[in-house]
Amino acid sequence: MAEMVKLFVNGQEVEVESGKNLIDALKVVGIEIPHFCYHPALGADGNCRMCLVGIEDGRPPLVPACKTPAQEGMKVQLDAEHIKKIQRDVLEFELINHPVDCPVCDQAGECALQDYYMSYSLDDSRMRVEQVTKGKKIDFGSGVVHDQERCVLCGRCVRFTRQITHTGELGIVNRTDAARVSIFPGKPLNNRYALNIVDICPVGAMTSSDFRFKQRVWFLQKDPGICHGCSKGCSIYIDHHREKYKDDVIYRFRARTNLKVNGYFICDFGRLSYAAENENRQTTATADGSAIGFDEAIELVRERLDRARKPLMLVSPDLSLEQMWAVKRIATLYGADLSGYSDSYVIDGDGDDYLINDDKAANRKGLELLDIDSSKEQFISTLQYTDLLVNFNNDLFYSGVDEELKAQLDKTQSIAVCSHQLPVFESATIALPTASYSEYGGTIVNEDYVLQRFDKALFKNEDPRDVLEITRLLGGAIIDAPHAWPGIRQSVADLADIDPETIPAEGLNLQNSEDTNVGA
Amino acid sequence: MEVKILSAKFDIDNAHQIEVAKSHGAYQTLEKLFSMAPEDVTNEVKDSGLRGRGGAGFPAGVKWGFLPKDLDKPTYLAVNSDESEPATFKDRYILVKDPHLLIEGIIICCYAIDCHDAYIYIRGEYTSQVKGLQRAIDEAYEAGYLGETVNGHDFRLDVTVHRGAGAYVCGEETALLESIEGKKGQPRSKPPFPAVVGLYDCPTIINNVQTIASLPFIIQEGADAYKAHGTEKSTGTHLFGISGHVEKPGMYELPLGLPLMEVLEKVAGGVWKGRQLKGVIPGGSSTPVLTAEEAKTVNLDYESMAEHKTMFGSGGIVVLDETVDMVKLVENLIYFYHHESCGQCTPCREGLGWMLKIVKKIIAGEGTMADIDLLVELCDNIEMKTVCVLSAACTMPVRSYLNKFRDEFEAYVTDAAS
Repeated sequence: MAEMVKLFVNGQEVEVESGKNLIDALKVVGIEIPHFCYHPALGADGNCRMCLVGIEDGRPPLVPACKTPAQEGMKVQLDAEHIKKIQRDVLEFELINHPVDCPVCDQAGECALQDYYMSYSLDDSRMRVEQVTKGKKIDFGSGVVHDQERCVLCGRCVRFTRQITHTGELGIVNRTDAARVSIFPGKPLNNRYALNIVDICPVGAMTSSDFRFKQRVWFLQKDPGICHGCSKGCSIYIDHHREKYKDDVIYRFRARTNLKVNGYFICDFGRLSYAAENENRQTTATADGSAIGFDEAIELVRERLDRARKPLMLVSPDLSLEQMWAVKRIATLYGADLSGYSDSYVIDGDGDDYLINDDKAANRKGLELLDIDSSKEQFISTLQYTDLLVNFNNDLFYSGVDEELKAQLDKTQSIAVCSHQLPVFESATIALPTASYSEYGGTIVNEDYVLQRFDKALFKNEDPRDVLEITRLLGGAIIDAPHAWPGIRQSVADLADIDPETIPAEGLNLQNSEDTNVGA
Repeated sequence: MEVKILSAKFDIDNAHQIEVAKSHGAYQTLEKLFSMAPEDVTNEVKDSGLRGRGGAGFPAGVKWGFLPKDLDKPTYLAVNSDESEPATFKDRYILVKDPHLLIEGIIICCYAIDCHDAYIYIRGEYTSQVKGLQRAIDEAYEAGYLGETVNGHDFRLDVTVHRGAGAYVCGEETALLESIEGKKGQPRSKPPFPAVVGLYDCPTIINNVQTIASLPFIIQEGADAYKAHGTEKSTGTHLFGISGHVEKPGMYELPLGLPLMEVLEKVAGGVWKGRQLKGVIPGGSSTPVLTAEEAKTVNLDYESMAEHKTMFGSGGIVVLDETVDMVKLVENLIYFYHHESCGQCTPCREGLGWMLKIVKKIIAGEGTMADIDLLVELCDNIEMKTVCVLSAACTMPVRSYLNKFRDEFEAYVTDAAS
């Protein structure tokens, strides 16, 4: 437990963590100190001057809060007139050369400059001379578009490429009000985390070419989720919206701070994986290539399963623990073999020492915990003699079509419970559409044994049934995700004490009782 | 009036050459120096009352005392030779006329603070001066005053000249350190101060050229001999660069504490062409201006300048005669500091450019009385809200012109209106 100190803010006593800078320390007790350049992952720089606070009896009396550690007995002035004036003055300086093009700026609605102006200033402009003009819509590469005029030169982006990715593509060139963020000529952003720059830019200077002009952010519903792009399981926000007369679609993923898993950032691959949730979806049930009703399809599947001599059920390593458990239960019900074979989800050498993993499966540890055999030997040998394969959304061809396996699959009667139209499901005689991970809730365990829970974010017009629901329709006893837990607890020692309702937002480490945090 | 301590060899031909310098006493303090304990050297300097000659006037010996003791890191000396303050050219004289005085001072300082690697950070525009300085350093190495065994003693000292690239802000001591480290010359937030975390994160003393060049006399003749010149709190002598509208502009070494007008009259020959005095910039362009009236009562020392709500600064005195257009002078001032703003922090980066445009607007006859008020307010809004004092170096003098010569600004507004 961190040491606590008592200090005074505007004369009021608060108790905060000792040594933390004032911005972070006071944020915990609900006191906001406005700032542009400080970011907890990038440290204090002190250049924006927005966080200047008074220290009564202090030397010096005026300090940047980002560089000032909380100390016992400190008397912080935040609402003193001279501090409020500094905040107005700094905002005025930031705004005099700013285009104030909020109506066409993607950042509007989540812009620190805009929000602070509303909260701390509302002064009329006194700028009656020509503004400084700089470059617009500069392609920085990796999908980052820069507007130098909107930039407040806080340098977060520059520090990100130096401290986090260690690639250093960005710098601030020139002095005085000609200073601007730039890439080196012909050397664009070239790292797999570049789009975080769009997230950390406090203003509209860094926009994503993918998201630009697609949606006003105030229309977006921002739900927490877990990225299923790899086995890291980064915390994300799923920003989605249902336009009038249209369907609920996802517009972007953003990093959600989780010091236990991903820190403040996510990779670009994961960020852009939202598109796959919208596209190429299996929306209708089919039998022998023709669309049929969902209920009809379920009946067909039941019949086939009842008839099958030795069915084989294959689960995706992306399924939630509850879904895996439900499939495991109906596998027993139908006397089916069960496999979690998913070697194709592992791309050797693709990972790095930061957030990206070789293993693109979101819940491989879940397969292990539930004791589902993922070996190739078991799968291939079982596939040889099965007369019915039921594939629960496992993309066996994740890293490309395996011709040998494909030939084998083509020979096997198979049923696909699939969220997407993928080559691996083409040989299925019956396809049942199912929900993807933004459309159901559940728990997954990442590569570091961090158990995380996520809730259903999207509600489609025709809400696809998730794997668990489909197992229920096929005669399974599990009604919903919570209902899976008594069984899971009983059969998995590591999960014996877990109550999914009380998993903290940042997840629960199943191996360490002590929290292990990542740096940034 | 002149006292030749720093400038003793300025009039000797070829005193920049080591043999000539030596024949006039160069490096003669070293025997005495190495017979002293380092802390005694520091105490002697403290006792002399020598104040930093870079402009701020912080006591040099006291600064050395801020170095942490028994730290497992090297200590560095950075000699600030980035002399960029408009109207200031005193260090240039030392570099050109008597570089060995500076080197001798560096040896003294390094011995006192146990430093074995000293840097001289010289402004990029001093192109010929840097060659002369390097030549003198090479001579000192050859003569055994620098290198593995300084003057035959078991004391290593290496001196490296580092050229700036032409940024005023690199005269700010932490920007200077950033620049030596090969980074963009932008001031650091303080604390920590360089004496604790300086060059390459090691304890570092940064002293001005003239400060260091004052050391040989103090060690050779003793603190009392130094204190015999100047006033109680402003001891010793200073190189005054007198420029502007005087009959005899130039470099004069004078004891501190002399009345400004007496110096202007007797040393610099008075205001030129028989004109009236309008004002005096007392110590480089960043010091608030004195009116002709105020100039009558001010003395050339730190205390008197402070009493007159200005600063002693760099000793670069600029005399302004009655023909000077103070509004255009202010335009020139803001132009300079705006151009030299490092662009790091918001008030300075954005504010100085705004101020410049407002002054230009006033000069163009498009200004209003509100613009003059806005200029004054912007001075307040920028000053001391920034990482370093560059913005204050602009706003402090600008405010003084706006207050003391407001009628000239108003005239631009009313003349345009009529």
